[in-house]
Amino acid sequence: MRDQYHSSMTQYARHEHHNFQAASREALTNAPLQAALVRLTDTLMAGNRRGFAALPGGDQLRDHAKRIKEHTLAHLDHYLEQLEASVQKAGGRVHWAPDAAIARQVIVGIAREAGCRRAVKSKSMTSEEIHLNPALQEAGIEVTETDFGEFIIQLAGERPSHLVAPAVHHTRESVGRILSHYVGTQLPDDAQTLARTGRKILREKFYQADLGITGANFAVAETGTIVLVTNEGNGRLTTTCPRIHVAIMGMEKVIPRWIDLPVFLKLLARAATGQTLSVYTTLLTGPRRPGELDGPDEFHLVILDNGRSRLLGTPFRESLQCIRCGACLNACPVYRRIGGHAYGNVYSGPIGSILTPLYDSINKNPHLPHASSLCGACQAACPVKINIPHMLIGLRELQHHARPNRLEGLTYRLWMQVLRRPLLFRLLQTLARVLLRPAARNGWLQRLPGPGSRWTSQRDFPAPAPESFRQLWKKLS
Amino acid sequence: MTTFRESFLQQVRLALAAGQRAGMSPSLEDREMTGYQGAGPNPLQRFQEEFTLAGGQTHVVEGIDAAIQSVLALLREKTARQILLGRGEFLDRLDLGPHLIQLGFAVQSIDAWLPPSSRDATFAAEIPISNAPRPTPHASRPERDAFFAADIAISGVKYLIAETGTLVVETRAAEPRSLTLLPLVHIAVAHHSQLLPDLFDLFDRQQLAIGNGLPSCLTLITGPSKTGDIELNLVTGVHGPGELHVVLLLE
Repeated sequence: MRDQYHSSMTQYARHEHHNFQAASREALTNAPLQAALVRLTDTLMAGNRRGFAALPGGDQLRDHAKRIKEHTLAHLDHYLEQLEASVQKAGGRVHWAPDAAIARQVIVGIAREAGCRRAVKSKSMTSEEIHLNPALQEAGIEVTETDFGEFIIQLAGERPSHLVAPAVHHTRESVGRILSHYVGTQLPDDAQTLARTGRKILREKFYQADLGITGANFAVAETGTIVLVTNEGNGRLTTTCPRIHVAIMGMEKVIPRWIDLPVFLKLLARAATGQTLSVYTTLLTGPRRPGELDGPDEFHLVILDNGRSRLLGTPFRESLQCIRCGACLNACPVYRRIGGHAYGNVYSGPIGSILTPLYDSINKNPHLPHASSLCGACQAACPVKINIPHMLIGLRELQHHARPNRLEGLTYRLWMQVLRRPLLFRLLQTLARVLLRPAARNGWLQRLPGPGSRWTSQRDFPAPAPESFRQLWKKLS
Repeated sequence: MTTFRESFLQQVRLALAAGQRAGMSPSLEDREMTGYQGAGPNPLQRFQEEFTLAGGQTHVVEGIDAAIQSVLALLREKTARQILLGRGEFLDRLDLGPHLIQLGFAVQSIDAWLPPSSRDATFAAEIPISNAPRPTPHASRPERDAFFAADIAISGVKYLIAETGTLVVETRAAEPRSLTLLPLVHIAVAHHSQLLPDLFDLFDRQQLAIGNGLPSCLTLITGPSKTGDIELNLVTGVHGPGELHVVLLLE
C-alpha cells in the first residue's frame, strides 16, 4: 500500500501542473498522505497556538509587525536602495533581477565568473520559483539540495509539498528506499540512521562545494544584514564552507531597521512550529573579514521582482507581507486534506492560493481562489495577520469580471424582476411550498432537482416552511 | 555591462504611485515594550528551562575549577578524540589545553592558524573593511581539514538569552563559524554575566555595534541541530552538532 501511494504522489509531485481538481481528488483518496498531513498540521498548529499564547502582548506584536511591513512596502524603493548601499558597504555585491530569466542568468553568471563547479543549496522557495537548479545544471554546475527533506525529494525528482516539511508525503520506508538507492546499499530505515547517512553524504558535498546558494528570510536595509532561519544547520554550512555565497530574495523581504528584526524573529518560529526561535538564526553582514578562517570570500545578493511589483499597485499588496512561516497551510482545512502538490506550484496553501494566480496567471489557476471556505483560520494563524479571505474574494471578483457568467447574470436579472413584483413573489413562494414540502424529511430536503443537485450532493437544503411569514402574521393579528 | 537596477526601481516606483492611497502608509513606530517578555524573577532558571526544552544541556558551576571539572567530566564519556578548542573571554580562563592533552585528547587550538597579531585581539576590535589585505585563497586553507575532522568543539559565547534558551555566538578571527557548527558535540563555556533576559535586549546591545560594523556572522543557537523531515520524528545532529552543552559559571 505504501508503494502505491508513493508512486501516485510522484505524478503530481514531479511537475508543475494546473489540474487542481484531479490532483485534489488523488490526494483525498491517498490514505497515508492524509495521515501524514493530519499529523503534521495538527502538531504545527498546536505549536502555533502555544507559541502565540506564551508570548505576552503577542497580539499587539503582530499588529506592530504588520505595520512595519505596511510601511516598508509603501516605501519599498527607498528601502531597497538603502539595502543595496548597506550591503555594498559591508563588502557584498547586489544584483537586480526583474524576472526569473534574468535572475537565473545573473546567478549562472556569478558562478561562471568565479569558476564554480559544485553548488550546495539551503532551502529557498524563491530559488524554486525561478527554476534555478536546471539552469545551473545546464551550465555544468552540480547542484545539491542540503535541507534533509529537500535532499530526499531532489533524489526522488519531486517538488516540495510543505513549506516547513517538504518531504511530508514520504514515509520512513520510502525515505529509506531513496537513500539506499543513492548509496547503493540497503540501509536500515530507522530515522536516526537515515538522518546520519544524510549527514555523511551532505558533509562531503559541503566540503567539495565552491558555491553556496541560500534564500533570505529577511534583509535589514539599515545594516545590509541578511537573515537565515533554519533548524538543521545546512544554512550555516552553505554560508561557511563554499567560497562564493549567493543569496536570492524576493524584494518584499526587506525590513527597515536592525531593531525591527527581532519583532519578526519572535513571531516567525512561534507561528511556524511553536519554538521560541528556530535552532539556528544566522545574521550575515557581508563576506568574511580579513583574518577570519572561514566564510565566503564573496557575498552576492540577488534581489528578485518576478511579478511582485505588479502586486504593489493593487489591493493584493498585502500578500507581500508574508514571512513564509507556513502557519496558514497548517490551519487551512483545505490544505490539510489535499497537501501542497495539489496546488500545482511552489507556493501552496492559502497564501499560495493568492500568490500563484497573481505570479503565474489567474487563467491557468482558476480553481485556487475557490479552494477555500473563507473560514479565516489562515488569517487567525498568520503572524502578520494577512487578510487572506479578503484577497481570495478579490481574486474571485477579478475572475468574474474577466469572464462574466451569462447564465448567472440572467438568473440574477430574473430574480430582480420577481422581487419587484410582490404578487409574483408570493405565487412562486406558494409554488415552491406545494412542490417541495412533500419531499421534505424533518424539515430538510436531501435531494433537489437539476442545478440544485450540486448543492444537495454535499449537504441538505432547508425545506420551505408549512406557512409563510405573512400567513402567520395574518393569523396572529 | 548593463544592469537592471534603474528599470527595476522604476517598476517599483510606478507601482507604488498607482497603488498609494491616503492613510495606506503607517509611519515607522517605536516598539516600546510591546512583545517584551523578559526572563521573570529568575533568568538563570528560565534559561535552563528553555535551553533544556530545545534539547540542550546546562551545567551550572561555581568557580573556574568546577568549570574545568565539568568540561572534563563531559569529555570522559566520549570515545571520540579530536577536539577543536576555541577562544572566549571566560573559556580562556579555564586554560583547558593542558588538561585535555593529559586526558589523551588530540587538541587543535584555533590559535594555531592565526597570525600572532590576531591571537590576542580584543573582543570588540574590528578591522576596517576598506583597508583590508586580500584574504587567503579559499582552496589553500589547511585548517579546513581540521575543522571537518573534529568531533568535539569547545567554544565561548558572546551572550546567552534566557527568554528563548539561546546561545549567541559572534564570528571573529579567533572564533570561526565552523567551530560551533561542524563537530557533532559542542560544549560552550559561558558566564552568568553574559545572560540577557530577552531577545530584544540582544538587538539593543548590538545596535551599539552598528557604527563600528556588525560581525560578518552572528549566530543564535537554540538547541542541537534538528529535523522532523522523516515522519515528523525529531532527529538531532543532521548537519550541525547533535549534542549541545553549556557550562555556566556562576562565580
